[in-house]
Amino acid sequence: MKVITIEKAQWSQGLTRLQTAYRLFGPVKDKTFHNFKELDSLAALDLSYSNTRLSAKSLLFPQSEDLLVYNLDPAAEDANIMKEAPKAYAPRAVIGIRPCDAKAVSLVKMNFDTDEYKDPYWLNLHQATTFVGLACDAPCSTCFCTTAGCGPYHEEGLDLLLADGGDHLLAKVISEKGQALLDSAGWRVADGPETSFDDLKRAAEEKIVSKIATESLAGAETMDLYQADFWEDVAFACINCGTCTFVCPTCWCFDIQDEIFGKKGKRLRNWDSCMFPIFTVHTTGHNPRGTKVMRVRQRFMHKLKYFVDKYNQGIMCVGCGRCVRQCPVNIDIRRVCELMNNLGSANACSVQG
Amino acid sequence: MQYMGIEGDRLHFSWISSAESTKFVRVVSEVCAKVKALGPNQHFVKKEAKVA
Amino acid sequence: MSTYTENIRAIAQRLLKSCQVELVIGFRKGTQPMMNEPCFVSTPDAVDQLVWDSNCGINLANYLTNRTEKIGIVAKGCDSRNIVTHILENKIKREQLVIIGVPCQGMIDKRRIAAETQGEILEVAESDEQIIVKTREGRQTFAKADVLQQNCSVCIHRNPVIYDELTADLVTEQSDVDPYADVRELETLNSEEKWNYFEELLAPCIRCYACRNACPLCYCPTCFVDESKPQWLGKSQDTMDVRTFHFLRAFHCAGRCTDCGACERACPVGINMRLLTKKLNKDCFALYGWEAGLSLDTRPALDIYQTNDPEDFIK
Repeated sequence: MKVITIEKAQWSQGLTRLQTAYRLFGPVKDKTFHNFKELDSLAALDLSYSNTRLSAKSLLFPQSEDLLVYNLDPAAEDANIMKEAPKAYAPRAVIGIRPCDAKAVSLVKMNFDTDEYKDPYWLNLHQATTFVGLACDAPCSTCFCTTAGCGPYHEEGLDLLLADGGDHLLAKVISEKGQALLDSAGWRVADGPETSFDDLKRAAEEKIVSKIATESLAGAETMDLYQADFWEDVAFACINCGTCTFVCPTCWCFDIQDEIFGKKGKRLRNWDSCMFPIFTVHTTGHNPRGTKVMRVRQRFMHKLKYFVDKYNQGIMCVGCGRCVRQCPVNIDIRRVCELMNNLGSANACSVQG
Repeated sequence: MQYMGIEGDRLHFSWISSAESTKFVRVVSEVCAKVKALGPNQHFVKKEAKVA
Repeated sequence: MSTYTENIRAIAQRLLKSCQVELVIGFRKGTQPMMNEPCFVSTPDAVDQLVWDSNCGINLANYLTNRTEKIGIVAKGCDSRNIVTHILENKIKREQLVIIGVPCQGMIDKRRIAAETQGEILEVAESDEQIIVKTREGRQTFAKADVLQQNCSVCIHRNPVIYDELTADLVTEQSDVDPYADVRELETLNSEEKWNYFEELLAPCIRCYACRNACPLCYCPTCFVDESKPQWLGKSQDTMDVRTFHFLRAFHCAGRCTDCGACERACPVGINMRLLTKKLNKDCFALYGWEAGLSLDTRPALDIYQTNDPEDFIK
């Protein structure tokens, strides 16, 4: 994992060269906020952003995506054959994804790439994508990544990590894909000192003001948390929209639908949200999470307890702060985490006597 | 409907009793003529879900 | 504004202590600048959480639907009109409610302030006339009147139309405001331009339904977007489906919408969907002289038939 320097003056030439080998995606400003879009023109790339409104997950997991298609028209060449929807998996690169969003990709991969099931759509896109991260030197007041398992210079999920070294860029090659991208961009590089990267990292981490405590979540009794008395109060304001789940980079639930038009049909998937009332409705009409409190509780239990227990890799949250900023009624996961963690530690103490 | 971009001449309302055959013919002919003059409707048409 | 907070707390405490209500629904201070969190208080000693300021834009009538308890509800002008509509539509009974009326001076538009501020907003304070925004770089001050939510800047029903308690003196209603100026401007465009305008307006929509869920009017047990067997509307990001969701929801609010602005406030991507509901409000007013939620004694215009209902569009 070597560190190199790239002269800033060379940046756009490198991008132009990259365009011949990769489809490029990056943060693009749309009126008042940024979102990840395909870069039709390199001028649209705007790296002077704190973070995108929606996460980068739509790059691997589009909000609405065709899965299967069929055609019943006897005249059609492929009549009556259901097949995977045609996709383009030419190499692509995401320029300027933040380390929190990149770590989230690794967390989401745990769901889409298991021994039992592999999601071909997500995995094909993931394999085709090279992630070029942009370290955060000016984190927001709502960023709590350092206590959520990552940080402003975290490398998990990235192939290459860029940092602003003043008059030059610092780049850390993290994987072979990252090296391949560097070679393709053809930037004139020089070896950089590992130390300046570490200094920048330390400085950035010190700027994080928001922190959560999670040490008592794993040891907490699940039923104690489930039956806690604070859920009514936490859930009251919730309007059960899908905002938190849709802006969250680690949420991946989807709903599969069939749509038919004339003789053709397709099976597609759309993002779904555990906040929606019909998320758990059975065909009988029974709904095991029929009330708002049950749904809100489930969301936080999943993120901060069930995931922790199941995978032993920390919480299912990267501290990007989007849900905190976008929730229409200001329900704050950091506050809920505190309630849950405090309950966990309070009960632990009483057990240990 | 007009506010959202459908041309006004595509939507018509008329009270016609089943006993008013002449009015029926007149109204139908008028509506057909007006809509034909606008050409095929391009708005609010979904052929198949346009998604990724 | 601090007197509003004190009075709300005092009234809430009195109502809870005397068991007139089982809970009081109001706002508590949020963790984010310019945000407050709707909350409920069920014990007299917890009333100090309640606050009131210019960030109480969410419509609290939304939390009344189908509740069975006796409730004290903090309600500004538009909220109170939605309470009237709720009572007329049998979503809550008048006897259950002790309405803590708030003569409203307008809510501030957090998006507008953020757009006009350099750097990340860390804290926002307000005085009677000003909003003081603190960022890492320094301070910026705005005149409150310049940064009100758009619906508040043209509001003519700032006083609660129904109340049992009042937290402050009634305010003078604004006159000389034109609530439909932007709608009228849109009406002058031709069909193609109108179509494209809404195409662009609705392009960022992510079907999160925050607008629908923040709206007190949207209380159907199964919303039309969730119907299946048969499915009324696709759930995908197809632009036709997205557009249909918005305009059909607006139609369902026709004659009932009080322009409280909760929908726009809730939207995570900043869509001005009030351009649809306001058009319908304008039409209802022009055709029937009707404004929603002003009185418990009249049925809504789209609820009843009158012999002089306009018919000139029927040939």
